[in-house]
Amino acid sequence: MRSVNINNKCQRIRTWLYTVIENRIGFGAGWVQNHIAGCPRCQQRLASVGKVALAISIIKSQPHNLDLWMRANTKAIGVLKHSLRNCPKAEKLKAVLPEPKVFEKCFKYKNSIANTAACIAIVFLMKVGVFSSMNKFQSESEKIVRQYYTSQIGEDLADEIFSA
Amino acid sequence: MSGKAYSYELILDFAIPESLSGTQRWVLSAMRRHGLGLVTMLWRILGNEQDVCDAYQETFLKLAHYQGGQRPEHIKAYVFRSASNVAISMLRRKIIERKNLSEISNAGNEIKSPANELDSKSLQQRLRSDITRLPEHLRNVVILHDLGDLPYCQVGKVLGITEATARVYRCKAIQLLSVWMSKEEQ
Repeated sequence: MRSVNINNKCQRIRTWLYTVIENRIGFGAGWVQNHIAGCPRCQQRLASVGKVALAISIIKSQPHNLDLWMRANTKAIGVLKHSLRNCPKAEKLKAVLPEPKVFEKCFKYKNSIANTAACIAIVFLMKVGVFSSMNKFQSESEKIVRQYYTSQIGEDLADEIFSA
Repeated sequence: MSGKAYSYELILDFAIPESLSGTQRWVLSAMRRHGLGLVTMLWRILGNEQDVCDAYQETFLKLAHYQGGQRPEHIKAYVFRSASNVAISMLRRKIIERKNLSEISNAGNEIKSPANELDSKSLQQRLRSDITRLPEHLRNVVILHDLGDLPYCQVGKVLGITEATARVYRCKAIQLLSVWMSKEEQ
């Protein structure tokens, strides 16, 4: 149990380290950008790495036909043994179409979900009394600032500033 | 290809005894669970629907025949690795065929213009052919992570390496690919 915990912690730290290192010395880091701006060789390297990334993203952006999985299943099931070919599961696979995940289905409602969540949060904060406390904090802090100004520049000027 | 499929069908129906491989329902479960991911990965590697179907069929045929019809311990790892291997061999064959064809038709002397350079098809072809040239350990990581959309932790599990090693291999692979791609342009 202890070793599992250590492993989890170790894994978390390693992931965190990668993020930190990437932020410090990745392509996005300021000093790296400054160097690249003045170094033709690094510019060339960056351009070629960018080209690979571009090619990968072009390949990834090409969609296949929606029924490709179905056709591939039909073809693959066709060469499996007889008992598998005729079972109901195989029939389902022969007619299966890719379905979006629950998260992807909910994606189009993200704005309404965010708005509802924000409203609920505001209502909750009002119920808890955070807003009235905030007003209290504000008036208290104003009083302190006014006192400070009164002690530093005199009551008349302080009144003038805070009455404006 | 239908002839090939037919011959596999015959082999499976008559040559392999039913008792040897059991019910093998897990093959269909694997198809249901990992099929879509495999199809997407194969499509990105091969870029041709007919080839995707062929590679998919061969992968599941291999799975059904694994050690006389036994269930592999890590089905996902087995399926993804064999699909990637099958696809790469197909891609290599296609590249050789294309080269031979271009030699015959003397189409090898392509004019390299800026417009050609930006052609997305040629960029994809170049990347695919360069991926086949990568050493196996680097290639597997690029295929599973970049084309198969698997996160590093899963790539590590599939290939039996750590997540950190997978990241290092991917970095090396991208460096090699970028060098080769820029050399080809020159």
